[in-house]
Amino acid sequence: MMRWTLKSLGTQIASTLASAGGVAGAFLFVLFLEAVFLGESKQIVAYIEHMEPDIWVMQHGVSNMHMASSFVWDWKLDAVVEMDGVEKVTSILYVNTMVRAGDRDWFTYVVGLVEGDKRAGPWAMKSGSASPGPGEIVIPALFAESSGAGLGSSVSVADKKFTVVGLSLGTFSMANSVAFVSFGDLVNILSAGGTVSYGLVDLEPGSDAAAMARRIEAEVEKVSALPHPEFVRNDFNMAMRMGVDVVAFMRVIGSALAVAIIAFTALVQVSRRRRELAIAKALGVTNRSIYFSVVLQTVLITTAGYAVALALALGVAPMISLFVPEVTLLVSTGSLLRMGAVALVVAVIAAMVPAYMVNQVDPLTAFQG
Amino acid sequence: MASSKLIRADGVSKHFGTGHTQVRAVDGVSLKIGYGELVLIMGPSGSGKTTLLSMLGGLLRPTQGRIEVAGTEITVMKEAELPDVRARLVGFVFQSFNLMEALTVEENILFPAQLIPGGIAAARPRARELIERLNLRERRDSLPKTLSGGEKQRVAIARALINEPPLILADEPTGNLDSRTGQEVMMILFDITRDENRSVVLVTHDPRVEEIADRILWLEDGKLRDRKSEDHSWVRDPVCGMRIDEWTAVHTWERSDSKYVFCSARCKERFVEAPDQYVNA
Ligand SMILES: Nc1ncnc2c1ncn2[C@@H]1O[C@H](COP(=O)(O)OP(=O)(O)OP(=O)(O)O)[C@@H](O)[C@H]1O
Ligand SMILES: [Mg+2]
Repeated sequence: MMRWTLKSLGTQIASTLASAGGVAGAFLFVLFLEAVFLGESKQIVAYIEHMEPDIWVMQHGVSNMHMASSFVWDWKLDAVVEMDGVEKVTSILYVNTMVRAGDRDWFTYVVGLVEGDKRAGPWAMKSGSASPGPGEIVIPALFAESSGAGLGSSVSVADKKFTVVGLSLGTFSMANSVAFVSFGDLVNILSAGGTVSYGLVDLEPGSDAAAMARRIEAEVEKVSALPHPEFVRNDFNMAMRMGVDVVAFMRVIGSALAVAIIAFTALVQVSRRRRELAIAKALGVTNRSIYFSVVLQTVLITTAGYAVALALALGVAPMISLFVPEVTLLVSTGSLLRMGAVALVVAVIAAMVPAYMVNQVDPLTAFQG
Repeated sequence: MASSKLIRADGVSKHFGTGHTQVRAVDGVSLKIGYGELVLIMGPSGSGKTTLLSMLGGLLRPTQGRIEVAGTEITVMKEAELPDVRARLVGFVFQSFNLMEALTVEENILFPAQLIPGGIAAARPRARELIERLNLRERRDSLPKTLSGGEKQRVAIARALINEPPLILADEPTGNLDSRTGQEVMMILFDITRDENRSVVLVTHDPRVEEIADRILWLEDGKLRDRKSEDHSWVRDPVCGMRIDEWTAVHTWERSDSKYVFCSARCKERFVEAPDQYVNA
C-alpha cells in the first residue's frame, strides 16, 4: 500500500512538486510575515532593552514607552535620587514623532539627553558623536544611508532643523527608529519646562528592584515606577498588539491557502487515480486503506512543503537582512513549531475532501473496458 | 459445516432503478458450482453476465436471493467485511487487464498479498513460481506500459492466483487481445487452474472455449436458460477464417445487406479498413 502510494505519487511528480511548492509558498508567506513582525516588535523595544536601568520612573498611570507620553515634574526625580539605595537617576525627555531627512519621513522615538550624560544615549556608534549639543542630532546610520543624509546634513524634527553629528547603530526599525537630541531642544519642542518623561533609576548593587519600585511609588506622589523587565514586557506587548490582528489574519489566510492547495492536489490525484482505486477496491482493498493512502499523500506533500519553507526560512532569512538591512527578521522557534502544528492540521483537513471521493469510487468500474 | 459446492446461488436477482426505467439485469438465477469446475457464462450483450459475475465475487449486492461462497453466505455480510472475502476467496481477471501503472510486474502480482495474513513477504515464493509458470521472468521488473497485451493479461492472471483463492472470476479476459494471443492466455489460465484445482467462472464470446468447459450457462435477459450446443449458428470470420457463433458474437459489422462477424476487435478493424480485400477473396 505504502509502496503503491509512493510510486503513484512518483508518476505524478510534476503535480506533486507543484503542490509541495505551493504549500511551501503559503507557509513561507506566513513565516515571513511573522518574522518581520517579530523582528520589528523586537526592534521597537531595542532602546529600552539596551538602557537596562533597574527601575523606570514615569508619569502615574503610564506603564510603557511605545506610543505613550509621560511627563513628571523634575523635582520628583530629585526626590528619588535622595532615597537610600539609589545610585543614580538619569532623566530623559521623549516624544514619538516624525523625523524628516531628505525627502523621507521616519516615525521615530526622539530622546532628549541631558548634555554630557551618556547614560541614556546611543549604545553603538558608526561615526560621529554620541552626545548631541543644542541644534544637533544623532540619527540611525541606516536612516542616513537610505535618505542620503550624513554627518553635517540637516534633518528636521517637528519643523525645527537639526544638524546630524552622529550616526548610531542598532537604532533603526521600519516602524520605529530612535534619534537623540539635547534635552534643552526637546524642552522647546514640547514646551515642557520643568518636566522629564522618564527617569532611569540605577540602584546600588544588591538592592531589590521590585521592593525599591514599590517604595518609590509610595514615597513620591503620582509617579509609576516599574522594574526594568516588567517595563520591557509591557512595551513589547504593546508593540505586538499593534500588529497582532493583522498577523493572525494573515496566518489564517496562509493556512487556508495551504489547505486549498493540498486539497485541490489531492482531489486531482484521486480523480486521476480513480480507475486504479476502483481496481484496488475490487481486489479487496478496504475503503479505510485507500483513505489512508490518500491521507498519506497529503501528509507527504504537506511535510515536503513545510520542510522547504523551513529550509528557506532558516537559510534565506539571514540573507534577506544582509541585503535589505532596513527589515529586521526574527524567525522564532515558536513560529516554526506553530507552523508545524498548522501544517499537520492542514494536511488532515485537506484529506477530508478526497476522502469523500474515495467512498464514491465504484469498484465495478474495473469491469469496464 | 463444509459445503461440497464452492458456489451456491439461490434466486439471485439484481434490479437497477425503479418503476418504468427499472432494468432486471439478473432475474432469479440459481446455480451451483463445484470445486475445480470450469464454467462458462455466455449470452448476448446486456444479458447480465458481468452483473452476475460481480455478485458472485462479492462486488455487488443482489436485490434478492442468497449467495454462498466456500460455505460463507456473502449476501448477509456487512459492507466492510466483503473486501476481505474478495481478497481471500476470489481472483479477478478483467478484460482491460487493470494493472497498477506505477508498480512493476512483480509488485503487481504481489499486490493482493498485502491483504491477507502473511502479507507480501510470505507470498514471494509463490510470486516467483507464478512468474516462471507464466513465462514472465524477463519482465519481472518491467512496468505495465512496456508490456504487450498478452503479457499484461498473464500478469493479471498471476495476480488473481497469488492468494490461492478457490475461485477465479474472469470477464472476457481475451476481449482486448487478438485471437491467437487470446487463445494462448486462455490455455495458460486453464492449465494452472486445472493443476491447482481452482474453479473458474468465465464470461466469454469465444466458442473455442466451449469444448474444454465443464459446463456452459446461457444467460439471456437476466435469466439462465438451457442451450444445447447444437444451437449454434456458425459463421466464419472473413479476416482470420475462425468459426464463430453468430448468436453470441459481439464484433459485428453490416454493409449493404450483408452482416459480417469477427472473432475480435482487431479483425473487425482490419476488415473495416479494406472490406473488399476480404469479401472478394
Ligand atoms: N450500474 C448499472 N445501472 C443501471 N443499469 C445497469 C448497471 N449495470 C448494468 N446495467 C444494465 O444491466 C444489464 C446487464 O448488464 P451487464 O453489464 O451485466 O451485461 P453483460 O452481459 O455483461 O453485457 P456485455 O456482454 O456487453 O458485457 C444491461 O442492460 C445494463 O445496461
Ligand atoms: Mg459485461
